[in-house]
Amino acid sequence: MTDAFHIDVPHTDGTLAVIALSGEFDITTAPAVRARALELIAAGHPDLVADLAGVTFCDSSGLGALVGIWRCAKDADGSLALAAIPDRLGRLLSVTGMDTFLPAHPSADAALAAGQGRTTA
Amino acid sequence: MAAVRRYDILDTPPDGAYDRVAALAARLFEVPVATVTIVDEDRIWFKATHGLEGVTEIGRDPGLCASAVLTDDPTVIPDTLVDPIACSNPLVAGPMGVRFYAAAPIITADGYRLGTVNVLDTRPREISEADSATLADLAAVVRDQLELRLSALHVVRAEQERRKVEQDKRQAEEEARQRAERDKTAIAAFASTLQRTLVPPALPAVPGLELACHYQTASPQEVGGDFYDVFPVDGGRWAFFLGDVCGKGAEAASVTSLTRYTLRAAALVDADPTAALKALNTALLLDAAVGTRFCTAIFGLLDPAPDGGFTVTLATGGHPPAYHLSPTEDGGVRVEAVRAKGGMLVGAFAEAAFASRTLHLAPGQGLLLYTDGLTEARTADGDMLADTGLTDFLAQRSATVGAGRLIDDTVALLDTLPDTERDDVALLALSVPAPDAAPAGITTTAHSAAAPTADASVGQENRRP
Repeated sequence: MTDAFHIDVPHTDGTLAVIALSGEFDITTAPAVRARALELIAAGHPDLVADLAGVTFCDSSGLGALVGIWRCAKDADGSLALAAIPDRLGRLLSVTGMDTFLPAHPSADAALAAGQGRTTA
Repeated sequence: MAAVRRYDILDTPPDGAYDRVAALAARLFEVPVATVTIVDEDRIWFKATHGLEGVTEIGRDPGLCASAVLTDDPTVIPDTLVDPIACSNPLVAGPMGVRFYAAAPIITADGYRLGTVNVLDTRPREISEADSATLADLAAVVRDQLELRLSALHVVRAEQERRKVEQDKRQAEEEARQRAERDKTAIAAFASTLQRTLVPPALPAVPGLELACHYQTASPQEVGGDFYDVFPVDGGRWAFFLGDVCGKGAEAASVTSLTRYTLRAAALVDADPTAALKALNTALLLDAAVGTRFCTAIFGLLDPAPDGGFTVTLATGGHPPAYHLSPTEDGGVRVEAVRAKGGMLVGAFAEAAFASRTLHLAPGQGLLLYTDGLTEARTADGDMLADTGLTDFLAQRSATVGAGRLIDDTVALLDTLPDTERDDVALLALSVPAPDAAPAGITTTAHSAAAPTADASVGQENRRP
């Protein structure tokens, strides 16, 4: 039942980076996601697109990581956009009101096309 | 003198090797007395004696040993009485009446003279060059013996040192282990105490309302991040809240405390549920130590209504919906999710907005609040119970929506689920007794996995008429 969790960075371009997650995004894996994202921000890619297509489960720690990454990106004059959000995670983002702050796109490509992942939120 | 100390030979017990050297010297020189001496600061100590039993040391009077140790070559005094210095030595002038004295210094490899090998006679005599050389050889034998002893001593001391280091290490490890054990016990006790301060011991008695709750942490070691409270506001109004701090452990617990006190304080200033959540949002964002900690919460205000029920204003901050349960005419239960569109996580965004909804809790109806430990609990087939599982369960219960029964049944449902990866769970139910029902009461059903008395079906229960 437990899928191996993966973090990939399939694309970087200027200030942009796509961080793709797959598996269970929870209390055990969230710290690694946060750390990897902060590395990308520190390395000059503050405009992040989180590709969530492969996320099978996300709990409050996962949401916590997204909020933390969003804040750090904003502090670095960047942004965080979400792509390919699974249904259940979408409901969670809606219940928590996070969808108001984190723009969603059907796919990572769409996010990149939609203004380089940058948001004015 | 330092060299003498280094060999650590002074005042050691008699040793066969040195005794044999003394005996050999006496036999070779055909003298009655032979000795091996070590010269100390203030005395001449006899390491071995032959023909002089019972004497262990003498003073450093000049003329004999004390003089012989000052030169690298053997000392020979054929007749002590004609030697200007030796003649007054106590051994010569005293009862022993030594007339002949010869000695060779014991010289270490690095040139220190530690003592002498001596031969003494009561008659004057001459010895040859070869005899002097023999005496020097005997002194060298003693020297070799001392070197051997010293190296053995070094080995033994190194071994003793090693054993002591090992023993110290074992002792330190044992002490560390015991300390860790004590710390663990203390921490568990502390967590348990902290938890008791975080969880209200009992719900208050609210006139016209039945209340029940359940609280269970994932493990006794964990301080939970779930919280709830019910308290009076003013003019017969009551406030309640339930929520979940993101994360676990001590850090989450500190946010839980901050959250509870902030909500209680905020409600006293402005009982409006949306204002209370806004105040909490500001407090969590201001608290630097809290960092990126945030929570989800539902805050409600109860205003007594003329029909015996309550007007409930519910504001939600990113929390799963509460369920409003009302009996239907056909004996079933209508389950309605109370959603307030637009409520966001509390403490995550400075710009967060909170929304509220008002509902009427009529006599016979109930309201269930819960944390995601309930909806994210895994069923036997590995799926989460989820909203649908919970609503199905609530709809299939018998028509009674009393808070106590509701909590008992929900806890029973949790108990049927596998115990793996269980998260914290907090449940709070409110119900208005139907007019024709048994007298209204307050049911407090507090369960805690951390409490030794935890019993899923009993816990603590007070029913007050």
